[in-house]
Amino acid sequence: MFKELLSFGKKEQKALDHMTRHVQLLCSACEAFREALEKRDFRLMETVGDLEREGDIVRREIIGNIYEGAFLPYLRPNLLKFVETVDEVFDLLKAASRYYRDLVLEGEILYECTRIAVLNLRMAEMLYITFQAMLKGEALKDKTLAIRIYEKKVDDMKVYISKVLRGIRVQDFWEGKALSDFISNLVGISDEIEDASDCLDIINVSMK
Amino acid sequence: MEVQEFMTSKVEYIDGDASVYDAIERMVDKRIRSLVVKPSKREKMPGVVTARDVVFRVLAKHLDPGSVRVAEIASRPLYCMAKGTSVLDAASIMEEKGVARVFVCEGEQILGVFSLIDAMQSSLILRARK
Repeated sequence: MFKELLSFGKKEQKALDHMTRHVQLLCSACEAFREALEKRDFRLMETVGDLEREGDIVRREIIGNIYEGAFLPYLRPNLLKFVETVDEVFDLLKAASRYYRDLVLEGEILYECTRIAVLNLRMAEMLYITFQAMLKGEALKDKTLAIRIYEKKVDDMKVYISKVLRGIRVQDFWEGKALSDFISNLVGISDEIEDASDCLDIINVSMK
Repeated sequence: MEVQEFMTSKVEYIDGDASVYDAIERMVDKRIRSLVVKPSKREKMPGVVTARDVVFRVLAKHLDPGSVRVAEIASRPLYCMAKGTSVLDAASIMEEKGVARVFVCEGEQILGVFSLIDAMQSSLILRARK
């Protein structure tokens, strides 16, 4: 049913193709971030910024498609909200990748951050699966539940990381700020992906 | 899906000579259900003490938690698995050994703990990925 309602025109199909591309780019950015963190590869970390810029271009295309009249008017706000929320995830990833350049992470904190990066990647992949399921008109309950489980996991790790952080010695204020901002951007990603999946759920429900 | 993705890396330790009262205090304070008991001169092997051990082996028997040593009620050995073990294999091991948690280890080091709730959560995610 959803596909019938969404894909009746070229404009809609174009927008949906761009939205699919947007979420795929997000998965690539999360994967690049994870790998760069794991391998301590600064050059690879820079590709996160490149992917964010590419994501930005796709986001503008989608907004253009929607303002050109794609989709029924009552669907547009939630579709736009979904796109903006995905964009917010890109921003958090890019900010975290920038702060990472000024940091030397090691030991327990590096280990925990890498684990969060893996969970963020899994959440992005699950968001893609959820989006595809929505296009096919399938039930999203299992998928959104999986995203909530991941988010809860990251939430638990957030509390633990904040305790670990208190034991880390920093050279000066700026190093402490960079570390704190890096962590808050990294752990904020799961919240935004959960919000994006909620948007998909709302869109799906509103079609019934 | 591997256990390292879903394990909890927050592992708390307690000395074997500490009292069960200390263990209760630690578990309540940290909101956790198990503690790894460090090896001591008397008990060479590390063990695990769980909320279940405390309730069934001490409280239900009307023993004084302040005068029972943690090492006396700890379960041994710790069941360890590699971080790359699949969550379904971990669930099978838990069923086979009749334990509610297994430890994720690398050499001598404990990286985390994988419990029943982690097994259930990961099963939901596997289902969603299909």
